[in-house]
Amino acid sequence: MACATRSTPGCATPSTDRGTIVSADEDGSQGSNRGRRERLSRIRLVGFAGAVGLALGVFGTLVVATTGADGRGASTLVFSLGALAFGFALLGWSGSVAAGRSIEATQAHLDTDTGWTESGSRRAMARIGGFGAGVMVGASVTTLLV
Amino acid sequence: MSTETDTGAEAGRRQARGVVERVRASPFLSDLLSNRLALVGLGIILAMIVIAVYARLFVDLEAISLTQFGTNPPQAAPSAEYPFGTDGQARDIFPRVLYGAWYAVLYGTITVGVSTIAGVGLGTLAAYFGDVTDNVVMRSMDVLLAFPSLLLALALVAIFPDGLGLWRAVAALTLVYTPRFARVIRGAALAVLEDEYVDATVALGAADPRVIVHHVLPNCLAPITVQSTLNFGLAIIDLAALSFLGFGAPTGTPSWGLMLSNGVEFGLLTGIWWWSFFPGLFLAITVLGFNLLGDGMRDALDPRMRDAID
Amino acid sequence: MISKRFVAKRLLLLVPVLFGVATLVFAILQLSPGNPARVIAGQRASEEFVRQIERELGLNDPIYVQYGRFLLDAAQFDFGNSYTIQRNTPVRQILRNKLPVTLELALYGQLIGILLGIPLGIISAVKQDTITDHLTRVGALSGISIPIFWSGPLVILVFAQFFGWLPTSGRIDAQRFSIEQVTGLITVDTFVQGVDATLSSGFAVSHFAPFFSAVEHMILPAATIGIYSMALISRMMRSSMLEVTRQDYIRTARAKGQGAKITLMKHGLRNALIPVITVIGIQFGSLLGGAVLTETVFGIAGIGTLLVQAIEVGDYPVVQGTVLVFAFLFTLVNLGVDVTYSALDPRIDQ
Repeated sequence: MACATRSTPGCATPSTDRGTIVSADEDGSQGSNRGRRERLSRIRLVGFAGAVGLALGVFGTLVVATTGADGRGASTLVFSLGALAFGFALLGWSGSVAAGRSIEATQAHLDTDTGWTESGSRRAMARIGGFGAGVMVGASVTTLLV
Repeated sequence: MSTETDTGAEAGRRQARGVVERVRASPFLSDLLSNRLALVGLGIILAMIVIAVYARLFVDLEAISLTQFGTNPPQAAPSAEYPFGTDGQARDIFPRVLYGAWYAVLYGTITVGVSTIAGVGLGTLAAYFGDVTDNVVMRSMDVLLAFPSLLLALALVAIFPDGLGLWRAVAALTLVYTPRFARVIRGAALAVLEDEYVDATVALGAADPRVIVHHVLPNCLAPITVQSTLNFGLAIIDLAALSFLGFGAPTGTPSWGLMLSNGVEFGLLTGIWWWSFFPGLFLAITVLGFNLLGDGMRDALDPRMRDAID
Repeated sequence: MISKRFVAKRLLLLVPVLFGVATLVFAILQLSPGNPARVIAGQRASEEFVRQIERELGLNDPIYVQYGRFLLDAAQFDFGNSYTIQRNTPVRQILRNKLPVTLELALYGQLIGILLGIPLGIISAVKQDTITDHLTRVGALSGISIPIFWSGPLVILVFAQFFGWLPTSGRIDAQRFSIEQVTGLITVDTFVQGVDATLSSGFAVSHFAPFFSAVEHMILPAATIGIYSMALISRMMRSSMLEVTRQDYIRTARAKGQGAKITLMKHGLRNALIPVITVIGIQFGSLLGGAVLTETVFGIAGIGTLLVQAIEVGDYPVVQGTVLVFAFLFTLVNLGVDVTYSALDPRIDQ
């Protein structure tokens, strides 16, 4: 419901009715194309950050594990740091979506421009969140394998 | 601090000028000096610094931290001998309160100083590189700013081990305060970077770091100073608040927050009002001093920079 | 103006907010140095006993298993039992008892702040640069400079101890009245129940005696929070009001011949209120922080003192539950603020 008009990373999970809503919102096939392109770029954005995080998670866990702490301690530490980034980004993302319009309106009202935009903030949070989730997965995978 | 007069050649000549002339030439300083409330604030701060240094040099920390049963009467009301009375451990409150000024100034300076440095780093980084770096750094700062400061500090304090004492509070608060500086500095740095003369310098072949060191940082000095002053008072309050809640100074330390905590817990209901009154009074006066000066500074600041400070 | 979909969307956003907060709390507690099994067992327990508790709580499981289990529990708002604070009591039940206490305090505090702060800000703006304005501004600055943990003791000293007008601490005269908890909001409970249900000593008192006692106990702590929030609101109101009066449409209205005061009320106030309301929403968080300190000063057992205590002793389930409740409240209040906001500002349609 909430995702119907707003294309957001969290709502980007493929669902059947989604495509029709997007194309109904914008006119014609061109709009639907643009929607798909946007979604693709969004997936790429999160995916890239996630891949970096994953690599860093695996690498970090191995490094910590070899430099002292036992295996479980290492994966707990790295996983928690990833969770810190992931939770932070989730919070920031929902905060941007929730407060986005009123912040933009307040800025317009007070005639101050701090450069804050809802979409910019959401993109930043999607990056951080993807990265954090990647680290969490990386740490878990390393624990499972090693 | 107006940038029109700040061209390279001018800057060299300006340094040669006398201090008085420079004060008169700087609208920031002359505005500030004509603001009476700001001067009162400055006076309070200087007095507190003098007290702090005096206490550090001439008050015996051990003697005022340990219980003094036998030496002093416990819970004595303020008198000529004990100007602020004595507490439940028979300690003379007056030198303890003086020493508290040292803790406030010292730990406040470290908190604000480290946050400023971190903020300068992140802010200039964001402004200089722009694009993704800017977005990720600054939007994260915004999220951190959205957290209520005391609650965030409480959460962060839990990460650091007990044994760190007041440093635990300092570490948590540094993380809480960094975004405030990063935001201001990014704004100020952007304003400088957008100016034509920086473009000109870059065109003339100045390397990246040199632009930041020679042009961006000097021009950010005023907003950094204002933001530091405004946040110094808040940092002192938050440090004391964490001590008050039991996440700061270890037992016996003469920090204002801990004295207040003990005074409220053990003295308030039994009528020993001086136990909590005097540490709180000094705390409030110090914070008021920083707020008065900070408010005056903000009013005297170049309006273009003022926007970035909340 | 405010569509149901807007509210529904915002309520749905509670899911990622709470998910995020839960993840953060989980991560922070994992990173913190304490060992929960040691907390439960006590400092002097044997190593073997600690190991046994670790096994029972699943603290030896891989971290992702623990995280998953925690999320499942958190989704049902089930954090298990308290470790030490109220040993073996479900966290949910502890929170249910203590949340209304803090809510009530914050509510009255905010009410005092709004009712005093907005008029003061308006007066200060209308009488800009007069003595009244200066006094109000210095007063507001002092209100921000004085920490709650000093202004609290001060009002206790003056009003409770020196004049003896009001009680020092607690929520009600516990020796005379015992009130059955229904809503948990003590001013409501006492008002509804009256004294009939609880006469303990038999001497005749007014029906509303417990209610008055509860109100008496509420005045000082609520005022302590209120002063702080008043200072913030009046500062914002003043600058917002000055900003608005400088704008064109006010000048146009004046030029059309409307009196200055009417113009101000009709056009200025409504517009000046918009940023102030945003500030009220944003500073609700620091109000909760203030409630933590106020509860400590006045010996009120709300979720503020609960959180501090839980962090101190390492009672993880209580920390988790309390933080989530704080986040929930904060989000809801800001939703309320946004609804008010869009009702005031016709330019924003949701």
